[in-house]
Amino acid sequence: MKREDINVLIVDDEVALANTLAQRLQMRDLKVGTAYDGAEALSRLKVDRPDVIVLDLRMPGMHGMEVLREIKKACPEIQVIVLTGHGTDKDEEEVKKLGGFGFLKKPADIEMLAHKIKAAFKEKCARTL
Amino acid sequence: MDAQYENELRNLQMRFIGKIIAGFTHEIKNYIAIINESTGLIGDMMKVGKSVENDLPAYLDIIHSIEDHIEKTNGHFRYLNRFAHRMDSPLSSFHINESLEELIALLKRFANQKRIVFKQDYDTDKPTVYSNPAILQLIIFTFLEQNIMELEQESTITLQTTVTDQSVRVTIIPNGKRIEGSSVSIPSELLDIVIKELGGNISQDREKETIILLPLRPL
Repeated sequence: MKREDINVLIVDDEVALANTLAQRLQMRDLKVGTAYDGAEALSRLKVDRPDVIVLDLRMPGMHGMEVLREIKKACPEIQVIVLTGHGTDKDEEEVKKLGGFGFLKKPADIEMLAHKIKAAFKEKCARTL
Repeated sequence: MDAQYENELRNLQMRFIGKIIAGFTHEIKNYIAIINESTGLIGDMMKVGKSVENDLPAYLDIIHSIEDHIEKTNGHFRYLNRFAHRMDSPLSSFHINESLEELIALLKRFANQKRIVFKQDYDTDKPTVYSNPAILQLIIFTFLEQNIMELEQESTITLQTTVTDQSVRVTIIPNGKRIEGSSVSIPSELLDIVIKELGGNISQDREKETIILLPLRPL
């Protein structure tokens, strides 16, 4: 799979974390952009057309669950992986219910995250065929 | 104080401590995640053969970020340690500004969720009060939390200290539109009793400001 094949958007209010994760994923042949809150992420949906979104839950302004709901409403084909520091089992259930592809806890192993992103992309391709 | 009020006060204190620890651990977990990803990035760069000679600025940027987040972690631990020691003795002399600064640092995360900004306007004389620091922080926390819950996003809350004759005045001034919100407050009878025990008094206008007067005492 070449770099331009998978377009990923990382949404996290911790700028340093989002940027470092982006760099690490870019080194794993993914094309990665960043957004630092939910509103910015939603505004980028039509412009950047991400295949997969890696989404934090607790962010200033819009909560991650609200962002997930809006993403699925606007672009249901986009796959969303929630990456949170404090997610509960209840959160995981809610993410599933809203159509999220995965639920990982911080700090996540980078190889596992990259693998999950690739699996999410495959799912997106299968659904849009 | 009778047993019922004492019990109520303990419950509020437990809730307060829980909230402070939850905010603290969230913050620390984020810093650790950043440090973890940064060291991981250094490892990734080495694996793909990026040499220190050729990519020194990139390596230094990551190292500075790690140092910065270790310093932030340390600062947060200092605040939590000071906060814990406020409970060492029921009455003591302490700098009110320091006590408020510590509370704000530990509560900032909750306010950030609604993009509410704390403004601090403290008397430069660094006033010292003689009171129960843990209970005083609980009272101020309750008013701050109430405002965070009831104010719209992007509001401000100003904390002010001023010295007047024999007392120190702590003023909490909310600035923003009110929304419907459920918040925990200290029942007024209990608040009156506690403030009296602290040797101070309080005047409240939920929409405008809350003023707490405390006895001034040099260290």
